[in-house]
Amino acid sequence: MVAVLELSSQQGQATSSDKAIVAEHLCKVFNVTKGFLRRKKTQVVAVKDVSFEVNYGELFGLVGPNGAGKTTTIKMLTTMLIQTSGKATVLGYDVQKDVTKVRERIGIVLGGERGLYTRVNAIDNMRYFADLYGVPVNIRDKRIKELLQFMGLWDRARDRVETYSKGMKQRLHLARGLINDPNIIFMDEPTIGLDPEIAKETRNMIRELVEKGKTVLLTTHYMFEADELCKRVAIIRNGEIVALDSPSGLKKYVMDTSVVEIEGFGITEKEVAQFKGVTDVLAVSADLSENKQVLKIQTPKGSEIISEVQEILKNSRIYDLKIKEPTLEDAYLRLVEGSVK
Amino acid sequence: MPQTLRVIYSAFRLAMLHWMADPQWVIPNVIAPFVFTFVALTLFKEASGPFGLYAVLGGGMMGMWGNTLYSSGFAIEFEKWQGTLEEVVAAPSNLLHVIAGRSVSNALFGLTNMVAILLIASLVFRVPLGVANPILFTLSMVLTLLSVSALGLIFASAFVLTRSAQVFTNGLEFPIYVVSGSMFPVALLPFWVHPAAYILGPTWGIDAIRIAGGQANASLTFWLDVVGQENAFLAFWLDVGVMLLITLAYVAIATFLFKKVETKARRDGTLVEA
Repeated sequence: MVAVLELSSQQGQATSSDKAIVAEHLCKVFNVTKGFLRRKKTQVVAVKDVSFEVNYGELFGLVGPNGAGKTTTIKMLTTMLIQTSGKATVLGYDVQKDVTKVRERIGIVLGGERGLYTRVNAIDNMRYFADLYGVPVNIRDKRIKELLQFMGLWDRARDRVETYSKGMKQRLHLARGLINDPNIIFMDEPTIGLDPEIAKETRNMIRELVEKGKTVLLTTHYMFEADELCKRVAIIRNGEIVALDSPSGLKKYVMDTSVVEIEGFGITEKEVAQFKGVTDVLAVSADLSENKQVLKIQTPKGSEIISEVQEILKNSRIYDLKIKEPTLEDAYLRLVEGSVK
Repeated sequence: MPQTLRVIYSAFRLAMLHWMADPQWVIPNVIAPFVFTFVALTLFKEASGPFGLYAVLGGGMMGMWGNTLYSSGFAIEFEKWQGTLEEVVAAPSNLLHVIAGRSVSNALFGLTNMVAILLIASLVFRVPLGVANPILFTLSMVLTLLSVSALGLIFASAFVLTRSAQVFTNGLEFPIYVVSGSMFPVALLPFWVHPAAYILGPTWGIDAIRIAGGQANASLTFWLDVVGQENAFLAFWLDVGVMLLITLAYVAIATFLFKKVETKARRDGTLVEA
């Protein structure tokens, strides 16, 4: 890690708060207006009630399906959205009242290819944000160079960003998120759309940041990523936290079950739906998009369910069938489907 | 350098880099002024009096205002397209300073627009452009550009909330151009238009430019009419003074609006809508 980034994780703390992030009953309701002459107002609840705390130096994961409220929560904590009710502090600063103090001390890394000035080069992107964050001029250029070297982008630093690959853009997002040497880094799906190798590289970089004392709040769709990286994971569903524990703690929610994993071809949505009606089937997930389809069934019956599987899938081809121990993804599926109380 | 100036400069620099990376700026800044000048000179061909400068400055102002308005609206939309608006808002600096930096860069391009008009009129259309006081002429042009930019800032604040700033910029281009007396002096416009004309900074700036150019007509220029043709120097500074006061008011209004609009955008979640 470069020297300019070696900050204490506690630096910049406002009060005696012993938590890096505190969210208390955060709620966000959006007012949506439809129609032109007859305007009709409706309310959309994006986040219903979210409470959690993140310790200094912790890598905390926030996972949930699309529309669960992950991004809205992160935006409230980073001052990009004002909460409807509830309270949140970052480094002891109130996100609604101490907006500038929070902004000065946090880094934001959004996933995807957008969020960069693609017509200019990486150095100019970095320099612009260094100026917006008020990075002292005497260390600005040195820090830009060190961050781009750390991210493996220095050799291409003078090329326009539009010529970068997805992975390079994501690394530039990370570098940009560190330009103000933040105490806390908020990462919203930082590996989305990346190929496995680049995603692994990004995860290694995130891990390295935490080893250097940074606090990271990460949202992700990928359970194995949360399992691999996070010390604790909160699962959010319909705007509420439904579970918060370490990855191993969350797996205990499904210790009473086995996972029957079937690889096959010709499996239909109708057949998948049929499994949901079978007694003692707690959760079903299927990836039917590829040639080699994968169906996962959570059940306490274990191998006893095989005859029923064969009956339902009699018109499909089964390549492989395994009985597995449940993973964090299985726990997640059960939690978001609501079958764990 | 104070942080405010640093942010304005950095936004200005980034906008310039984008302009340079995109050679399409040649179209609004050279080709369009050529067309404006041609149209204006054709319209005033048969007119007697100091209409050569009116025609040329009118075309120049049209290009400059169009450029600034388009760019002010585009400043926000550009950030939305790039997906950078949230990141810019999430930085500790004031969004107004960022947009101000962009507006100044637009003003500079507006200036190239005006210079292009003058050169085209003089070299291609052989219009005699004897400028009485080149220093005051340049000064009033630069200050008018800043006033136009400040007016653009007010509109830019509203564009934070809109899904398509282009609709507004298209609708606002001609009304401001006509009401500010860019091509037709305000005195020739219906009386009920005058209040709207006199709250526009560029209206006074254009009068100042015309006085410095030495081709202003007392009956068509507010302060020259008040203090008399012989006190043209005083009339010039009165025009500049009023323009600066109005420009300061624009900046104050823009500061207030940006604060309100940013809070509203953060409350309604409209920062990412493109």
